[in-house]
Amino acid sequence: MRWRRNRGRFRKSLTNRYLLLISLAMIFMPIMFPLASILYWFVNDTFSEKPAVPVEKYTSGTVLEKMWHEEAATLSGASPEAIERRLHSIQLEYPEISMFWVDGSNETRLQMPVQPSLPEVWSAPYTVQFMKNAVDGDPFTSVAFIGGEVSGEGFMVMQIPRKYISVQQPIASETAMYGLFITLMSVLFIVVSWLFFVRIRKRLLRLRSAMTSPHTVTGLPQPVALTKLDEIGQLEEGYNHMVIQLEEGQRRQREEEELRKSLIANLSHDLRTPLTVIRSHIFSMEREPLSEKGKESLSLIESKIADLGGLIDNMLSYNLLASGKVKLNMEPTDVLRTVKESAAAWYPVWEKAGIEPDIQVRDEPLNWNVDVLWFRRLLDNLFQNVVRHAKSGQYIGIHTEEREGLEGMLVISDRGPGIEGGSQNKGTGIGLAIVDHLTREMGLGCHVESSDEGTRISIWRR
Amino acid sequence: MSSSILYIEDDHEIGGWVSEFLKDKGYEVRWQLSGERAVEEAAACAVVILDVMLPGLDGFTIGQRIKKAYPGLPILMLSARTAIDDKLQGLEFADDYLTKPFHPDELAARLEVLLRRSVVKSAEPLRVKHLSVYEAENRIVNEDTGEETLLTGKQYQIFMYLLQHQGRVMTKEQIYESVWGESYIEGDKTLMVHIRYLREKLERDPATPEIIETVRGLGYRVRA
Repeated sequence: MRWRRNRGRFRKSLTNRYLLLISLAMIFMPIMFPLASILYWFVNDTFSEKPAVPVEKYTSGTVLEKMWHEEAATLSGASPEAIERRLHSIQLEYPEISMFWVDGSNETRLQMPVQPSLPEVWSAPYTVQFMKNAVDGDPFTSVAFIGGEVSGEGFMVMQIPRKYISVQQPIASETAMYGLFITLMSVLFIVVSWLFFVRIRKRLLRLRSAMTSPHTVTGLPQPVALTKLDEIGQLEEGYNHMVIQLEEGQRRQREEEELRKSLIANLSHDLRTPLTVIRSHIFSMEREPLSEKGKESLSLIESKIADLGGLIDNMLSYNLLASGKVKLNMEPTDVLRTVKESAAAWYPVWEKAGIEPDIQVRDEPLNWNVDVLWFRRLLDNLFQNVVRHAKSGQYIGIHTEEREGLEGMLVISDRGPGIEGGSQNKGTGIGLAIVDHLTREMGLGCHVESSDEGTRISIWRR
Repeated sequence: MSSSILYIEDDHEIGGWVSEFLKDKGYEVRWQLSGERAVEEAAACAVVILDVMLPGLDGFTIGQRIKKAYPGLPILMLSARTAIDDKLQGLEFADDYLTKPFHPDELAARLEVLLRRSVVKSAEPLRVKHLSVYEAENRIVNEDTGEETLLTGKQYQIFMYLLQHQGRVMTKEQIYESVWGESYIEGDKTLMVHIRYLREKLERDPATPEIIETVRGLGYRVRA
């Protein structure tokens, strides 16, 4: 399990994957370099007649040997004088090479310079010994038969100290230098690529932090300053474009919200003002001499106007809420305190309506995450419903109950005729719809039980 | 009691009617159709009644301006908007709030409470049952005996707090936090003890209190 998690994290980090790559490169380098050398020599020998770049005339023994044999071949049938002239001219071109030649009767001829160790006449055993010494010895020796091996015109010999052609075998002679060079190159490679990677990573992280740290007021991510016009630069550009679109969208949404709010406010005003005027006239009429029936009618009109006012409020509130344009400011709140304050405000109303409150809530606070204003509104709706529709029960109960798995449950009950019980005042629906909507928005659970003996509404935190 | 009321209402019918009603009740009413000169007018008034929906400057702006100029002046907001909308706008500055259509008697009752808070420092005593409360002098006289009732600082503060909100139920939390100035710890018995001593001093019969009423499960109230 742990391994899998680590592996997941490893795969998620570019740094780690990059380091893995580098390590693999380091492991394969010792194999790769000789492989590359072998490949190089193979290609060189097979496909190119001449060395690709002859920097020095002595660099390659092969080239020297080839030159020597070609010279010998061209001297086929030449007189000893002609041979010696040619050798002189070669000597001018390659001053470091010592050379001599032996004629058809095995006599040593021109020596440049003169070597006292050489015999006057070459015997067969001496010749064999000389050839044996020459193989892989120092000086580097090349023997070429003049005019071919079977012509009997003799042979010519060139010798050059190995130091002039040492480049031919670098591994054998300068391994330490070579190793140091490889190490240096590797370190340089690692440093350069690491720096490259670190810079990419930094730019990506900058972009990420811009995305995840939104502006404190607007709540939107901030645009970033463009760095370069490479792929990441393009990404930044695209990101900035997206931020602008987001801002535009948010602005439009705000405008719509404002429009909706002002529409609803105006509508509410336009509906209520005539109601207030009607009410003022009822008040004036109440002071006129009226029959009992007239007074009764007036009081009925008055209560209907109050209902209508409440209905307008609920309807428009619900419209505003359901539009989703209203933002809730959720904060941890002791809801019991809010319940008590709200109940205290409603207390005189209940008294006047002949409703007896029975309030028993627990001492410990009930901390829920709610928007206080909206929670009050929710309670107002519930309490209002009791006054409007359950007055006949003459009771309102506000209790807390302890249930398993819940921190506490708020229960508001009445002894009215129930929601379906044909209260004279209809219109519970929209009030409860608001309660339902608000509890859902605030992450609360709400359950309504209703019978002809009363209604019981439980609210708990989900 | 003749107190000057600043009333700002743009609707002629409602404005005329409310002004008439308040004048009948014995108040001096200054009715303005807009809030342009509200702040100047408010200087001479004891309470402000403000409609939320007004031409030009809206009620919220005017209310906030008045409150800034005269922090002690009570403001009653009259609203024809939805309660939700007003809550969104914030009514922190308003001392009370009434939604249209309202009953004139309710308006009169609310005004009474606000005025008491505002003009409370008058020499005129406030009668509560058998007590006369001289707020300006911090003096309470028992009219049964003609003697002065002496209260401790906290007892007096609690009584005054309830008196200022006469007719309203105040929760234990509200009383405690207003008087002690620190947050209420549930199960705290301090308030109960203070109320008991307060009743012993104020009530005719502390066992059946008439002045400070206990509202079970909530708090206390001094009836209007």
